[in-house]
Amino acid sequence: MFTGSTTNRALAIFAIAAALLIAIGWVPLDTDTGIVEKVRRQVTIGDALAPTLASIFIGVGGLLLFFQGASPADGRLRLANLRYLALLIGLLLLSFAIMRWAGPAAVALFGAGESYAALRTTAPWNVIGYFLGGTILIASLIAMIEGRPSFRAFAIGVVASSLLILLYDLPFDDLLLPPNGDV
Amino acid sequence: MEVWTYIQLGIAAVFQGPDLFAIAGFGVPVTPIMVLLGFLLGIAVGATPGLAGPMAMAISLPILISIFGFSPDALLPVMGFLIGIMKGATIGGAVPAILFNTPGTPDAYMTTLDGYPMTQAGKARKALKIAHVSSASGDTFSDIVLILCAPFLAVLVESYLDLPEKTALLILSLAFIASVIGNSVGKGLISMGLGLLAVYIGTGEDFYPRLTLGSQTLAQGFPIATAILGVLIIGEVFKSIEDLWHDHRRAQKRPSYTEVGDQHVHRADLRRIAPYIARSAVIGTAIGALPGVGSTLAATLGFTTGSRRHATKSPDATQFGHGAPEGIASTEAANSSVSGANLIPVLSLGIPGNAAAVFLILAADSIGGFNPGPSVFKFTSGSINPELVMAFGLFTIMMLANLFNWTIGGGFMRVVGYMIHIPKHILLPVVLLLTFTAIYVQEARMSAIWFAVGFGVLGYLMRRLGMSPLPFVIAFILGGKLEETARQAFAATGGDAWFLFTNPIAAVFMALAVTVIVFSTRTRKEPAQ
Repeated sequence: MFTGSTTNRALAIFAIAAALLIAIGWVPLDTDTGIVEKVRRQVTIGDALAPTLASIFIGVGGLLLFFQGASPADGRLRLANLRYLALLIGLLLLSFAIMRWAGPAAVALFGAGESYAALRTTAPWNVIGYFLGGTILIASLIAMIEGRPSFRAFAIGVVASSLLILLYDLPFDDLLLPPNGDV
Repeated sequence: MEVWTYIQLGIAAVFQGPDLFAIAGFGVPVTPIMVLLGFLLGIAVGATPGLAGPMAMAISLPILISIFGFSPDALLPVMGFLIGIMKGATIGGAVPAILFNTPGTPDAYMTTLDGYPMTQAGKARKALKIAHVSSASGDTFSDIVLILCAPFLAVLVESYLDLPEKTALLILSLAFIASVIGNSVGKGLISMGLGLLAVYIGTGEDFYPRLTLGSQTLAQGFPIATAILGVLIIGEVFKSIEDLWHDHRRAQKRPSYTEVGDQHVHRADLRRIAPYIARSAVIGTAIGALPGVGSTLAATLGFTTGSRRHATKSPDATQFGHGAPEGIASTEAANSSVSGANLIPVLSLGIPGNAAAVFLILAADSIGGFNPGPSVFKFTSGSINPELVMAFGLFTIMMLANLFNWTIGGGFMRVVGYMIHIPKHILLPVVLLLTFTAIYVQEARMSAIWFAVGFGVLGYLMRRLGMSPLPFVIAFILGGKLEETARQAFAATGGDAWFLFTNPIAAVFMALAVTVIVFSTRTRKEPAQ
């Protein structure tokens, strides 16, 4: 388990290592111009300077943090936090996958040969993904907090997703709910 | 064009803009209505623990842009609504702090110390009235200082600062923000460095977009909305959901209160609290004018200063922390006077000082036609500078919001007490979906949602590690401008690599930047030893 200044030291070492990696590896390999460039006998600032300076800030921050004493407001990162984060990201991935694919799947099954791209501005096809994905997102998060799935959580998900569809989709023709902007 | 002409044009832009509807043949202009709606929403949001003004501003922005579009006419109604939220949330935060010992916003924590004991003594309504008067006074004072100072500061910057000095000023601002926010200079610098790094991905002047790892998605860079909403809003929601996840089995009793006796604020009460309001308004305004120093520090300083005065001048009266009306006045005047002054660096230098200011800059950036910074305050001869008209329009909006605050703010504060009963564990997942939706409708691509999740995780980790996300966000906003100004300064000085140190004013700014970091490092070390 990390505590107080141990977390700070771990963060400091990570920041210093990341800064070195960015400044020595990533920036030189992934930019076409250097720190400064000479174009037609004129010296200009290259694209590598700004990110290199950013990495220096990260590195200096890491160094200052490494030698900083412990304080009550240091913050702690426990294994339980990472477990929660993994669970949360899993729920988000599931919800967004449903949001992305439920509409095209519904069209493939019941769309009479039409493509989803052709129907993405047509109700109800355009809101199926958002409605299902949004409902799952809200219901699963409420269930996670309450420690059990419930009909109430599902109902809240249904109502909230429907209200957001009414808020964004019905009044505005130019607004596209996910995933209709890039399918 | 003279100042007076621009003031008239600014007022006209607010009151003679497009009409929302007509009553008996008279058109009702849209901007004042939007200010009113934003203000009322802000009070409700501030009174809801778990929500905050910046959250409401973030979620409202895409809806507002969809309603009003990207034309110059859209700027004042949109900014009016956002400024209304910003001001309303400040006073709304005091409601649950006083009634239920639960601060609606972090800066209202000190209000609980005297507000809740007053509620327990049956003086809830009186405490709310004192909070309202103090908050409205501090806010109005701060706005007057903003209106008087911002144009002069901008004119000074434009007159005396050239490209090298402007580059150095941006570096000084970033160094100051990284040093003063949070509990560690090291963490502030890491946060700032990450923000700069993020904004430089996929950008640059070369044909080849830098730092993209060969990805076409990264080649477009991170959209500003995903970075800001991800780190500021989604990261906060992630953290709050985890806190609720751990606390969900803890039985929560629904708070209630009763009122006993006289609830009026008499002239004698006002005379008693006036010196505390005045002192705290000055403290809050001075603190608010510095970028990055938030209203929580202002409230703490206002409370501490007021407490010392009260203990000396009135040793026999109820002391701070035990239900003293002066305690509420000191805290609320201080935290409310930050909001107007925080716009001084925004309007005069283009540097956002807090989360609310970040969303105002984001709105201006999204709509276009108004770039907050010193160039706004150019008094042109012959032709009209439309940005200056907008600036005076914004000043008019702020004074209009104050008028709403003085007239209906107090009454509305007293009816939003029920907002505490909205269960946070239902509210936060809805806010999360709302934020993702707000991001998608602006960007219209799924990659924006993935970026937002990534920035949300970053914001969550920052909070867990005791690192403020605000330097990240401000560096993300200023990073592009910093690089562009530095490139221009380098070219203008004939490729002088030492341009930041050969010019006296720039050298002073750079020395100050180093001093503020060293000084902050030392002052933070001392308490730890």
